[in-house]
Amino acid sequence: MTAAAELLRTMQRIRAFEEALAQRADRGFQLFSLGQEAVAVGVCAALGPDDQLLTSGRSIAAALARGVDPVAVMAELLGKQTGTNRGRGGRGHLAQPSRGFFGAHAVVAGNLTIAAGVALALSMRGRGIAACMFGDGACGAGALHETMNVAAVWRLPLLLVCDNNGYSISTPQAAALAPQPLAALAEPFRMPARSVDGMDVEAVRDAAVALVAHVRGGGGPAFLECRSARYATHSTSTRETRPDSERAADRARDPIRAQQQRCEARGEADAARCAAWDAEARAAAAAALRAADAAPYPLAASVLEDVR
Amino acid sequence: MSAAAPAPRVFFREAIGRALAEAMGSDPTLVLFGQDIGRFGGAYREFTGLFERFGAQRVRDTPVAEAAMIGIGVGAAAAGLRALVSITYMDFLMLGLDPLVNYAAKACYKTGGQVRVPLVVKATAGARGQGVAHSQCIEAWLMSVPGLTVVAPATVADAYGLLKSALRHDGPVVFVDHKRLYPTAGELPTDAAEVPFGQARVCRRGDAVTLVAHAYMVRVALAAADELAREGIACDVVDLRSLAPLDVATLAASVARTGALVTVEEGQATCGVGAEVAARVREARGGEPFRVARVAALPAPVSSNPILEAACLPDAARVTTAVRTLLS
Repeated sequence: MTAAAELLRTMQRIRAFEEALAQRADRGFQLFSLGQEAVAVGVCAALGPDDQLLTSGRSIAAALARGVDPVAVMAELLGKQTGTNRGRGGRGHLAQPSRGFFGAHAVVAGNLTIAAGVALALSMRGRGIAACMFGDGACGAGALHETMNVAAVWRLPLLLVCDNNGYSISTPQAAALAPQPLAALAEPFRMPARSVDGMDVEAVRDAAVALVAHVRGGGGPAFLECRSARYATHSTSTRETRPDSERAADRARDPIRAQQQRCEARGEADAARCAAWDAEARAAAAAALRAADAAPYPLAASVLEDVR
Repeated sequence: MSAAAPAPRVFFREAIGRALAEAMGSDPTLVLFGQDIGRFGGAYREFTGLFERFGAQRVRDTPVAEAAMIGIGVGAAAAGLRALVSITYMDFLMLGLDPLVNYAAKACYKTGGQVRVPLVVKATAGARGQGVAHSQCIEAWLMSVPGLTVVAPATVADAYGLLKSALRHDGPVVFVDHKRLYPTAGELPTDAAEVPFGQARVCRRGDAVTLVAHAYMVRVALAAADELAREGIACDVVDLRSLAPLDVATLAASVARTGALVTVEEGQATCGVGAEVAARVREARGGEPFRVARVAALPAPVSSNPILEAACLPDAARVTTAVRTLLS
């Protein structure tokens, strides 16, 4: 299996997982990464086992790309006791630090300063870096400025990844954010920054590998903007506001199809092989759903456990 | 048999400095964050000597950015260090409430016990002539956050003992150090003990009324009790020490004897510490009747104007008036 094919298969697994969950009538409130798989997969391809990844609430792709067990992720998203967080975190708060997924946090910009602290702890321990994924919506928040400033002054091993899908729910980037591109936010803090096509998993991976090398080498923080597009609404409870033409154009930039075509063109996998991988991914997603369905909900009597 | 040597008297800042130094010495994962806590030694010199002894990696001067300071402390603690973040004025804690309340206080619960946040936020509260945004006591806001421990010492021994406990606790603690206590001194034995959370201290015995206070207001309550004693009114004075968890058993036992409760706090009465104390004692006492009064700051900002500041805040005269009115 080539590296390019691995990237494709991980994206297929994420797509199949989210689509399986999305089709469930009882899925509840969810934040999907549909369309944005390449960002999480490309970034995770650049991280190692001692690193920690933190994300915004949009975290299913990141958790799966980081290697968290899909059965435990599905169980968590459906509120089951066997979930990564014992069913207590739910969507937006997936976490499994033992797998290098320090966790999601569903306050926009709320995980940025936390990630800087994680980076500090890792640097004092002498191994690993922290990466933090956040949306363009976080780029108008003061927490990003404060985090970049301290991280730069203290040369923290922190990779900041802006997964820029162009919208804060319904508000387009141009109406909310002055910097253009968003990677320019990093310039005053004198950290290396890149802005790449977030629908191209290899472009994301290559930029992430270069920036991670800088961070890991003790050069301090770095900033990676990935220009992506989400296929679904902000959340399952949000109304769609974008014109059909724009959504169709986004769909035409499908990161999975693009990577498949690349693999085929290079002779790394033919169409039949890719289809078989996709079928495997869908079977795995169905199995994760079955396992989650079979698992128990937490007992109501456990509500006061782990509070303090 | 010779009498034991008297315990040395130290200033409030020295008790805090000793607790910090001992904890730094015994726990190599403890890191301190704050504005001007390095060579400068802290606004009240409570960090004096720590930078020289433990170095810039563990005694970290931060930019003026409370949200980042607390967030980084929270993240560092969640990832295996232990952190103390010093907030120069409790008013500025508001800038860092998101990482404290939305992350630290919920991390253990929301991760199903995977992540713990051994963090102390030291927040200096109280009025001393510095005006509307440098004088507030907002500890009552924090009492209602599940997962947060809130302590507020009134004495040198408790400043030491509660801080030592906070620096060993495996969850987030807000340690409220009142700025008017910094000039005070008290006995601190060389073998001083940690003070466990959730244990109030009865600092004066009396049967007529229960006065409940915390932090600097304990001194105000004791001054009021002195004055009332001369009138034949004997006060039970309870120093809460720990606001969350609250020692309801000690409070209820005192009110069972006195039948009257007067709460004293420097923050606001509305949804304040006294309101919670009165309600919890009421619940604990069942149907047993007792009288209640609250003494708190007036519902106005605390001005730097000394006349207005004094007019806003509780003093012994307001406490004695409240007691006399309640008992009459």
